[in-house]
Amino acid sequence: MTEDQQHGSFNFAAHRLAQEARQALSFGSRGVKDVTAEFATAAKQLQPGQLVKDDYFTLFEAVGALEIMDPKMDSGCVPEDDSFEAEFDVCRGLEAAEIIWILDELLCLEAAWHDGYPLSQTVFTSLHVDRLLSPDNNAPYNLHYDRRPAGDLSNDEQLVHIVLRAYCLALIKCSQLVLHTVQSQNFYEEEDFVTHLFGRELLPKLSTDECYRLLDDALRFITTLNLPADTSEALKARLAFRRNYLAALIDDTDDWPDLIARMEVIDSTNSLGRPLREAFSDKVQRQLATSTPPRPMLQVSWKDAYARWTKMCAGIIETERLTSFWICQSPHCLQRAMWAFSYLEPQPNTFARAYLQDRLFGSDRITEDVSHFDLLLTDIRDLVLAGDPLADPDSFQVELPSDPRHQCSRHIEAFMDKAFEEYLNVYRMVCQNRCRIRRTFTQAIPIMDALETEAIRTDEELNRLAPREAMPNKSGAKVQLNPLTTWTKFYKVQIMARTIQLGFETEIYLPDELCTMYWLLSVFAHHQCSRIEAIERHLLVRTLSLLDHPQQNSRYAAECMASRDWLRSLHLQWDATRMMALALWRLCGILMAVRIIEAPKRDFAQDQLLYDARMKPYLSVNNEPIPSLQDLDRARQNIKSVEVTCKSIEMDVKEAKAHLAEVKMMSPEQAKYVGTEEQWKREMKQLETTCVAIAVQASQLMRIAGKHGKKGAQEGDSLKETVEASIPPPEKRYHGWWVVPQLKERKM
Amino acid sequence: MSGNSKHAVNDTPNEQPPVAKGHVELRYVPYGAEKESTYLPAIRQLISKDLSEPYSIYVYRYFLYQWGELCFMALDEQDSLIGVIVCKLEPHRGGPMRGYIAMLATRSEYRGQGIATKLVRMAIDRMIEMDADEIALETEVDNTPSLRIYENLGFLRTKRLHRYYLNGNTAFRLILYLKPGIPYKPTFPPDYPPLSPSEQGQGLMDEDLIARQAALMRIEDVRGETHDVTGS
Repeated sequence: MTEDQQHGSFNFAAHRLAQEARQALSFGSRGVKDVTAEFATAAKQLQPGQLVKDDYFTLFEAVGALEIMDPKMDSGCVPEDDSFEAEFDVCRGLEAAEIIWILDELLCLEAAWHDGYPLSQTVFTSLHVDRLLSPDNNAPYNLHYDRRPAGDLSNDEQLVHIVLRAYCLALIKCSQLVLHTVQSQNFYEEEDFVTHLFGRELLPKLSTDECYRLLDDALRFITTLNLPADTSEALKARLAFRRNYLAALIDDTDDWPDLIARMEVIDSTNSLGRPLREAFSDKVQRQLATSTPPRPMLQVSWKDAYARWTKMCAGIIETERLTSFWICQSPHCLQRAMWAFSYLEPQPNTFARAYLQDRLFGSDRITEDVSHFDLLLTDIRDLVLAGDPLADPDSFQVELPSDPRHQCSRHIEAFMDKAFEEYLNVYRMVCQNRCRIRRTFTQAIPIMDALETEAIRTDEELNRLAPREAMPNKSGAKVQLNPLTTWTKFYKVQIMARTIQLGFETEIYLPDELCTMYWLLSVFAHHQCSRIEAIERHLLVRTLSLLDHPQQNSRYAAECMASRDWLRSLHLQWDATRMMALALWRLCGILMAVRIIEAPKRDFAQDQLLYDARMKPYLSVNNEPIPSLQDLDRARQNIKSVEVTCKSIEMDVKEAKAHLAEVKMMSPEQAKYVGTEEQWKREMKQLETTCVAIAVQASQLMRIAGKHGKKGAQEGDSLKETVEASIPPPEKRYHGWWVVPQLKERKM
Repeated sequence: MSGNSKHAVNDTPNEQPPVAKGHVELRYVPYGAEKESTYLPAIRQLISKDLSEPYSIYVYRYFLYQWGELCFMALDEQDSLIGVIVCKLEPHRGGPMRGYIAMLATRSEYRGQGIATKLVRMAIDRMIEMDADEIALETEVDNTPSLRIYENLGFLRTKRLHRYYLNGNTAFRLILYLKPGIPYKPTFPPDYPPLSPSEQGQGLMDEDLIARQAALMRIEDVRGETHDVTGS
């Protein structure tokens, strides 16, 4: 190829590119063609209502379709007597009172965003924020774009261009940081939080330092103004809040208590604001990228917003307290802490829950010196292998390949790798909203069951590599501990029990299902108790052998003692659960037998299919399957007369109370509730009160039945006309997981 | 389904006595196979009466064009629309044949007469004829009349769906099994794949446009259970 030709081809390519670019930029080059008539003709070929669609056009798309110019669907539709854009000049000067009101309104809208509403209905409705975020705007993001107003700015104008602008920019920066934290953790879009930005960018080119500088300038500027002292302080408090909030979000400080204090000052000066509603408009939605219909700007009262901000800061402070070293170094203290956090009233918002997740899972360490791996290993050790060289962290360091400790450790490691994700979910999932905790736990059941199969395999290997003494079980047969199987099963059944308990709390079960579900819960609790007893037997032998060989390390002995206490506390708690579940099974069972609680007619249902639908989460369990429909029916046949049943309930409750009384005496270290002492105490109280309530309802039933000479009533008899039962909603229960039907005599 | 609850009904006579006095002779007719019945405007009006954010006509067509035989209407003597039920029936994630009750409404002055129950029964019967394995729907947790209708027919609550509706209300998913062995039928992930484990911890559906839209619109089963993008 000659040089000329080369040039020629370059020139040609350049020419062609330029032409293509022109075509791409201006479709006019191909000419405009009116296709209305053709389109109308083509459309007439269709039957009215006929849907022309390919296989990929789903209900999603159908629902996403808008009818253009329908004011309820088309966010771009402008009514005839309305203007397209809000008519408010964001550059015009405002008085300090108006600025104060705008800043507080922004705090209200920001709180609503935190509460799960989209930015389009909240922060983005601020016309000042809208101007700063406009795609036409660029760094350094002025309200007036590049057209600097002529002449000196008045004080009112400076309040807007210096103070309000700095505040809005910092607010946008804060939103970006919040969004980043939320999106880095587990949450559910729309249910918990809306991350959608509607085609806007949250000032990616603006640094935090620049925000600090602007806020500091604004603070300085205020002191130069001759404002009334309270107004001046009010403005300063708001700017300082924003500055410190930003600092807390970027991790420059963790002074969340300071934010609560500043919020109090803001609250006390809220009344200084003078409303300027025209500074906000939902018309901004017309220019946001969205497929959702227009929605009104949210109205949040200052009182509500103030409460939410305070709660959020308090929630964050709590996350720091609940993840202290002393809690984090014990898996079970930490698990308690997670539940305590999730059950704060009201439940912490999405950001606080993400913040907690970030603290625990942001790196590979739960806390300084405790890696996720350590956490899992400690858990296994605390529950099943205290004082055992197996699963001793030291054994993992043994490098000699022929050493059984080395070999066993590799098998345990392989198992831990498989268990890891689901194990961390035991913590993480508790940070989700309540409905999701139940549902994600439900999904965990088959995973844990598969893990159990893995554990069985690993235990076989461990038993082969390092044979240990088998112990007689309850029926005298000699059995191995099978530590990993036992550990996995313990967690699996605990998760299964939680799904039932959360089912009560989220009102999944109808009154006629309570009986069955409490029976199932009692079965799970029974399994847990037998499992703990087996662990206890093996632990005892291990402890005794350590005493026989005092030269062995004392760490092992201490571990055994701690584990013994821990197992005892678990045993007592599961025993209490079992007895309470049995009592409620009996109570609900007798109420159904004598038709005080009746099942709906259910014309289209069959018993086996109802069982399938209800038990679906548990049907996939292969290791130790759940009771069948026939088992459940047989259990119910054991419920005899009102009198006999009520007496049994009394006994169950008595036993449950005894277990609670005993476990209550245990210290935070023994029962592993360090850091959540208050919640523990409250829960014990709630459970005891529930016990009393069950006994009261049983004796109420006896009393009314006795009054009508029906103490002997049983299946086939009816007390329907005599007694009525109501099911208390979760907020009226002593504990959300325990449903005690309320009985009263029917008026004749 | 999405938006606000689409179950604007009440069949319990003692709670809200019907406002329409006297005996009204109603006819119950299927929407049928015609592509666009003259009743569509009335159906639209009845369903969207209480909705702040109505559906486009395509949503109605989506159901009626494909499953016209699963839509039933209650008409009075003047052929005015008193009640309507709109459903679909298709394999659920390649697994069980799932019927889905999308919308159910009766005119408020006719509530308390069992019209909605009758419409649901007709839809269930037709779905059974069409070999449905199960039927699902969602309704607001505090919509007691609607819950009562379905629970009296045999539906069970299987899930509570936090802030399911656009107005922030929470829903129950209800399900009715029609054949044995449904829980054992395998299902397959929805079209959008779960993120790889390394990407877990991202917000649900953050990156997937389809799922994003689905989430915004709150459609049935958008948030697939096992296949949640968040993993787990």
